[in-house]
Amino acid sequence: MTQQQATVRPKRSWGHFSQRIYPYLSILPVAVVIALFAIYPIFHAVRMSFYQYILTKPNQHPFVGLENFIDVITSYYFRNSIQITGIYTVAAVTGVVIYGLGVALLMNAKIRLSTPLKIVILLPWALPAVVSGLLWKWILNSDFGILNSMLYAVGFIDSYIPFLADPLLARASLIMAFIWKEGPLVAIFFLAGLQLIPDELYEAARIDGGAGWRIFRHVTAPLLRPVFLVVVVYETMTAILTFDTIYVMTGGGPADSTALISWFAYAEIFKALNLGHGVALAIIIALITLVLIILYLRVLRTEESTITG
Amino acid sequence: MNPKTKQRFNNLLLNALALLVIIFIVGPLIWVAVASIQGESELLRKPQRIIPRNPTLANYNYVFTGEIPTDTEVKGQTIRSRISQEARLIPASLKNSFIVATAVMGINLIFGTLGAYTFSRLRFRGKILTFNFFLGSRLIPVIAVAIPYYVIIQTMGLLDTYTSLILVYLVLTLPFTIWFLTLYFNGIPEDFEDAALIDGCSRFQALVRVVLPMALPGLVAAAAFAFMTSYNEFLFARFLTQSIATYTGPIIIAAIAGNPDASYSLISVAMTLGLIPPLILALVLRRWLTEGLSTSVTFH
Repeated sequence: MTQQQATVRPKRSWGHFSQRIYPYLSILPVAVVIALFAIYPIFHAVRMSFYQYILTKPNQHPFVGLENFIDVITSYYFRNSIQITGIYTVAAVTGVVIYGLGVALLMNAKIRLSTPLKIVILLPWALPAVVSGLLWKWILNSDFGILNSMLYAVGFIDSYIPFLADPLLARASLIMAFIWKEGPLVAIFFLAGLQLIPDELYEAARIDGGAGWRIFRHVTAPLLRPVFLVVVVYETMTAILTFDTIYVMTGGGPADSTALISWFAYAEIFKALNLGHGVALAIIIALITLVLIILYLRVLRTEESTITG
Repeated sequence: MNPKTKQRFNNLLLNALALLVIIFIVGPLIWVAVASIQGESELLRKPQRIIPRNPTLANYNYVFTGEIPTDTEVKGQTIRSRISQEARLIPASLKNSFIVATAVMGINLIFGTLGAYTFSRLRFRGKILTFNFFLGSRLIPVIAVAIPYYVIIQTMGLLDTYTSLILVYLVLTLPFTIWFLTLYFNGIPEDFEDAALIDGCSRFQALVRVVLPMALPGLVAAAAFAFMTSYNEFLFARFLTQSIATYTGPIIIAAIAGNPDASYSLISVAMTLGLIPPLILALVLRRWLTEGLSTSVTFH
């Protein structure tokens, strides 16, 4: 049929052809950019990880097989950073989910301050992570920090607390900075989920004699489950890859107590100048996040099938 | 307690909680702005004053004109050494950030719209595959590709140029823009375009004349996301910039604070100047951003 039309009216054939290639043309620029600057670098990274790349020995790049990976995995720093990253991620994600859900419930409640809250909630999310990290470093400063100033002025403390010089407090501070910065996104996500729940459901629950916590447990919580899973996946990835905040707030210290795995990778590159180690570490990080994502997607899928099936 | 008092008590409690959250969110921002108009010696007091006694614009004056603030003496000792030279680079670095972010935003709007419309409306071979390929590329942690990216950019001779930053930020933003706008276009009924197509418009014309005006809120949100991502990015900028020709805001702000002897008032100025543009954007576009973020989580 097309052929017939083409023979009758040649002009139509060009139209048909352009219609066929239009979809490909329209996505070609994006595809090229992504292939060139997202996919090609991965192959490059994998290749580099099998060679010795030390910046102080610029002309020697011998093939070393899996040596980079073995060196990295068997080092004390790796065990240390895996442990710290694990603790940090669990604490930060738990904290941000609780905070975000709480703020979402407040924004959704029929109270006077819910509107002002909605106006300011996005602010921390909009800032560069470098700025929010510095903001907290400055507030928590052990000599001239405003938090110490205020605690001292009201008589809570006798001497200034060195928040960022104590391993435990430094980790807690990082987690708080994470919650401050990431909380808004989580809150907005939960609020979107809350607004999808029809009012009738709450009314029905109330008529059945439910109140407060019980309505939340049996009506709100189950319906928020899909949003909850998305939030946990996203925030876990964000937490594992935390870098900017550490760079400005603690620099991995004190005594490597906040040296998360991406900080470790950065230090291998910029401080030890060992690109091979750095790339090997980066690939390990990528694999860890990939495994986590696949696990979550599994959970998400079984979840869906139990709901629908 | 009778139900009415209980209701009132509950409201009071919830409002108090909301107030605490608001203070937690806004407090740090207000403090850094207040600190930026205090003299260095005021900030080195123990304890500090939350309400400045001698507010001054001298710190800002230094950043823009190079005139050293007079308040550089503490207990008879001059603290001239605390003046961080890097602070003078803030305006130039913010300009760099702005140029790069605007370019990324513009390109996102053009190619993002074009691609998203195709994914939303047209059927073609390899559609699902390409879509997943775009989205999947965002699952790669940036640190994993930072070094090879650096090597590639170096080979291309593009180190320390706007182009290198724009390219990498396009990679970071385009997949999200396309995904987001595809969802958005899916929500717009096809009837209007069908009418336009029957009237003899091409696909491209239908997109520009019919769909775009209706998708304006989604476009604004997508543009803002692309702008903010580029404006705020740090790790790639750390790798790819080498001089004030391309140093972005976050790089300079981190550099000022990285100096162990840096002036606290100048750090505060740097932070305040750096956070003003994204804060304005977040406040002005609040509704669209919130709606956009909500769309991206509830459309799964």
